[in-house]
Amino acid sequence: MTQETPTAKVEPMIRFSNVNKNYGGFQALVDINAEVARGEVVVVCGPSGSGKSTLIRTVNRLEEIHSGTITFDGRSVHGKMRGSELNHLRSRIGFVFQSFNLFPHLSALENVTISPVKVNGVDREQARDRAMRLLDRVGLSAKANAYPAQLSGGQQQRVAIARALAMEPPAMLFDEPTSALDPEMVGEVLAVMRGLAADGMTMMCVTHEMGFAREVADRVWFMDAGQILETAEPSVFFGDPQHARAQRFLSDLRH
Amino acid sequence: MLLDLVDIIRENWLLLLIGQYPNGPLGGFAATLILSVLSIALAFPLSVLIAFARFSTNPLLLWPATVLVYVARGVPLLMLILWVYFMVPLLIGANVPGFVTMLVTLVIYEGAFLSEVVRGGIVALGRGQVETARALGHGYFGAMIHIILPQALYNVMPSILSQFVSAIKETTLGYVINVPELTFAANQVNNQLLTKPFEVFFLLAIIYFLVCWTLTRAALVLERRIAHKRAGMPGVALSLNPQMPVPEP
Repeated sequence: MTQETPTAKVEPMIRFSNVNKNYGGFQALVDINAEVARGEVVVVCGPSGSGKSTLIRTVNRLEEIHSGTITFDGRSVHGKMRGSELNHLRSRIGFVFQSFNLFPHLSALENVTISPVKVNGVDREQARDRAMRLLDRVGLSAKANAYPAQLSGGQQQRVAIARALAMEPPAMLFDEPTSALDPEMVGEVLAVMRGLAADGMTMMCVTHEMGFAREVADRVWFMDAGQILETAEPSVFFGDPQHARAQRFLSDLRH
Repeated sequence: MLLDLVDIIRENWLLLLIGQYPNGPLGGFAATLILSVLSIALAFPLSVLIAFARFSTNPLLLWPATVLVYVARGVPLLMLILWVYFMVPLLIGANVPGFVTMLVTLVIYEGAFLSEVVRGGIVALGRGQVETARALGHGYFGAMIHIILPQALYNVMPSILSQFVSAIKETTLGYVINVPELTFAANQVNNQLLTKPFEVFFLLAIIYFLVCWTLTRAALVLERRIAHKRAGMPGVALSLNPQMPVPEP
């Protein structure tokens, strides 16, 4: 019932407080302080190696951090917890990978049903019905029985999105979801993501698709060298970037 | 010579098939088959456990498993058999039947070798599949059982099969500690006939070949059925590199 208290209502979905991470001598994340509000769509952009992927992967603890705190839906992600608690927390954070990572030994439908059934103990029939609705939502109900090897990259990524949605997460994280796709398949994946955003899903999305950022994002975070240098509404960020590094990044994109 | 073979079979088929049973222990082909099936059936699950232990960060699991694998790889099987045969009765103060000695030794030895095959299959899948399963909330063992092992074991089926076949052939070493298996029975026949060693051991070779060939064929059928079910999944290649561009259907 704690979710019903007024303080929890204003609690952001994801909050980074003084987060630092280093690999050996290299500091991958530097004093990250940022929030993703409920229902907000945040696009994280920046040059390669700037720490975008590392940042998004700390949210469900695929990467550890060295100091600071990250909370998801009011719960600390990196605190001491039992394995089962971490599993439960992760099951509530939708995550979409650059390389899709569908389970190649399972059909599209089974890819979507296996986690609700095995992790949440959802009844098989119920999971199936729900999975069919999700596949329909990403436009792939006709491919329910196809195996990943029989699907195009764009189709695989849409199944991966349906698979993440099957856990009914309150937020979705996307780690360069279209970077591994042929150009003509990028649109179909972005369309699904646009639909999610329109339905009010909280989203944090690392992407190089600036058109998507401009059109869908509520805020853009610009990262370089492990720091968030600028956060702004897309119209401001693209129209009048404040930071010199962001100005250079955007002008490089235009060429 | 062909007639000799037929004669040998006609006169000794029962001894070759079941040894001196029921007047003595069950032996011959039956013993070989039982020993093979039991050692494979027990070594396979053991190998998966050893492979998991080799991934563990807990030294109580990691070290014994690692030592076991290194010992099995570094010591000839025959030496291991003789060792168990002479040492275990001294240690536990009771007689252990040759059959049990042979079975236990084979299970441990084959388990150690198979564990490296299984481990290789898991490592070859790469981090992506585990990471994805964990991100969806699967625990370590859930991810292994539902996501990783079905792929890894399928991909290493050819190596697993080789190990199974070599387990069948290694049962012949039971001969040296008087396990009355097929080779032992064939040797009994040879000792009776005295003049026909070539024919007797040729017959023995054919029987082993047929058993191993049957297993190979059965595994091939199984492999094809799985491949057919996952139609279009090019097995190892795809699993090694999930990012690999996939052709349009």
